[in-house]
Amino acid sequence: MLGRKRTKKYAKPLLPPREWARVESYALDDAGFGTDRFGTNADVLGLGYALGYWLHKHYFRVVSTGHDHVPKKGGGVVVGNHSGVLPFDAMMIATDVFRHTDPPRLMRYMVDYFVYRVPFLGVFFRSMGQMPGTRANFDGLIEEGHLIGIFPEGAEALGKTADKAYQLYPFNPGHVELAARHGVPVIPFGLVGAEEQINMIANFEPLARILRMPYFPITPTFPWLGPAGLLPKPARYFITYGEPIDIDPAVLTSIETREREVARVRDAVIELLDEGQRTRKRYAEGKVP
Amino acid sequence: MSDDADVKATPGRKRRRDTMRRAALVTQVDEGPEPGTLRSGRRRVLIAGAHRLVAVHLIEHLLADPNVDAVMAVARGACPPSLLGADPDRFHFVSADLSKRRQVDNLFLLDRFRDKPLDTVVHLAFNGDPLGYTQRNHEFNVNSAKHLLEASLRHLVGKYIFLSSDAVYRIGARGDYKVREDAELNLDPSVHPILRDTIDAEFICRAKMDDLETEIMVLRPSGVFGGGVISGLNLLFESNPPVLPVGFDPMINPTTKEHLSRDLMLALNLHGKGVYNVAGVTVGPLSKFLEERGIQPMRVPGPALKLLNRAQRMLGMTRYHAGFHPRRLYYSLVLDDSRFEKIFRANMSRVPALDDD
Repeated sequence: MLGRKRTKKYAKPLLPPREWARVESYALDDAGFGTDRFGTNADVLGLGYALGYWLHKHYFRVVSTGHDHVPKKGGGVVVGNHSGVLPFDAMMIATDVFRHTDPPRLMRYMVDYFVYRVPFLGVFFRSMGQMPGTRANFDGLIEEGHLIGIFPEGAEALGKTADKAYQLYPFNPGHVELAARHGVPVIPFGLVGAEEQINMIANFEPLARILRMPYFPITPTFPWLGPAGLLPKPARYFITYGEPIDIDPAVLTSIETREREVARVRDAVIELLDEGQRTRKRYAEGKVP
Repeated sequence: MSDDADVKATPGRKRRRDTMRRAALVTQVDEGPEPGTLRSGRRRVLIAGAHRLVAVHLIEHLLADPNVDAVMAVARGACPPSLLGADPDRFHFVSADLSKRRQVDNLFLLDRFRDKPLDTVVHLAFNGDPLGYTQRNHEFNVNSAKHLLEASLRHLVGKYIFLSSDAVYRIGARGDYKVREDAELNLDPSVHPILRDTIDAEFICRAKMDDLETEIMVLRPSGVFGGGVISGLNLLFESNPPVLPVGFDPMINPTTKEHLSRDLMLALNLHGKGVYNVAGVTVGPLSKFLEERGIQPMRVPGPALKLLNRAQRMLGMTRYHAGFHPRRLYYSLVLDDSRFEKIFRANMSRVPALDDD
C-alpha cells in the first residue's frame, strides 16, 4: 500500500549505509510485484527493519549473545519466552537475527489471527513476512528453509502481570511436533528486559473478550493516558541464544516423548533466561564494558 | 513349478483362487488409466453454458484442434454471435433448458451423435448473477448440475468437467498462504445462495467420482480476468472506481480467460479425475494488480463498503456485488494448483493442439 519510492525515502535515512546494504542484499523469492508467495514485500521489509534497527540500537539497546547457534541456512524453529504487553520482544528477536546473520535471515513468526482482522496492521505484518499461525503456513515456510519464530506460551503470555515476571507459562507442544515432522532443530532463546518495559497490573478479561483480544492490560498509565499509556519504557534487552536442540522424531508417536521434549526445550529457555539475568546483573554492576 | 501347481485344486481352494483373481481384475479396473496420459480417440464435446466468455474461448480452441470431431454448444436463447460463423460440420448449437431432464437427455440422443456419441461434457452453465437471484435460478443451478451429470453417466461419457469457483473456500484472518483442494469449504448458512448451489453441485459430482466409466472433474478457478468476464474479481476491476476497504490488501493469484480455457482443454484431453484448483502464475496483493492496470481504487472504511457498493450498482458504476463474497476484499485467497500443474500442465506436450503454447 506504500509505494516503493516512499518506502525507500522513509527507510533509508533511518539506517546506516551498511545496514541498508543488508536490506538490499536480502534475497526475496519474488512471486510477482516485489512480494514473495507469502506476501513479504521487500520495500516494507526495509521500512520495518529501519524501525526495528532504531529500537534495537537506540531504544532497547539490545545486548545479545550466541548468534552462532542460529543456522546460517535451512529451516529452524526459534523458540523462547514471551512477555511485555506489546510484542516488542518478537520484533527485537527478528531484528537481532537479521542484524547478526550473514546473509541476513528473516524470522517468520506464527502470529495470532486477531492481528489480521485489524486494518493496516494485518497488511503490515504480512508484508514483513509474518504469517497467521496455521499448520499449512508453518509447513510452507519450513519447506522453503525459513526460520520460524514460535512463542509456545501463546499470546496470553504477553499479558503476564508484573507478579508473574520471568515465570514461564506451560509450553504448547506444537513447536516440537512441527520441528520433528520436518526434521529441523529448535533454537531456544531467553529474552530478559521485556518484562520491565510495561508494568501490567491486571488483565481486564471481560473487555478483552468483547474486543476478541487475548488480554486487555491495565497499567499505571493505560488506559488512563490513552494509547500513549502503552509506550514501553526503554528497558535494556538481553537476548541469549542456546545450542540447537534436535527433537526426537518419536514425539510424533508418543505422548511421553512429546512431553519430555517440550520440557527439554522449556528447561533450555529457563536456563537461557537465568543466563540473561546474570548478564544484566553484570551490566548493572559495570562489570561488562 | 508354478505356485498354482502347489495348491491342491479342491473346489473350495479353486473358488477362493478365482475370487482372488477377480478381485485382482477389479483392482486393475479401479486404478483406471494413468492420470495425465492422453485420452484415446477423437473428441466430441458438449459445452453447457455457451454464453459464457470462457465457453466461447474454449469452443474456439476446440474448433482449432483437428483432433476434435464435433462440438455441441448448449445454452438458453440464441447462439453467441462470435460462434455463428463456425464450421457447421463440426459445430452445432442447441438451445435447451438444462434444468429440464428430458431436454438434457435429448442432447445425447441427437442423430448426428448416434454413431459417434459425445465423449466429453463440460458444465459451465451456472447462473452466477448475484442480482435478481430467485428460486428459478436456484432450481436451474441444482437441476442442471444433476441432470447433466446423470445423463453423462447414463450415456457413458468418458469425461465430465464441472467448472466451480474459488468462492467455495472459507476465508478469513486464519488464512493459509496457499489454499489446497482439501481446505475448509464455506458452509456458513448465511452465504449467498449461489455459493450454496455451487457447493451442492460440487457435492453431486463428488458423490459420483468413483464411477468407472466417466472421469468426473471439478475445477475451482481463481478469479478470472478478461474483458466482459462475469467473475467477481473482473467485475470489481471493471468498476468505476473499484471500492475497497481501507487497511486491507489481500493476496490473490487470478487467472485469465485464455489460461482458463487452456486449462479446460488440458482437463478434457488428458486422463484424470477429482477436484483441482486452477490459478494464474502471478501471486501478489490486490492493489498491485490494480496498479498494474492503471486503476485507482477508492478506499472506504469496511462498514461503508456494502452501502457504497449498492449505490454504485444503482448508478450503473459497477456490476460487482460486494455482498456475494464479502470477505474476499479483506483476506487473502491464493489457490494452490500444484496438483493440476503436476498432472495436467506438466503433460501439455501430450495434447497436440496445445503443443505450441
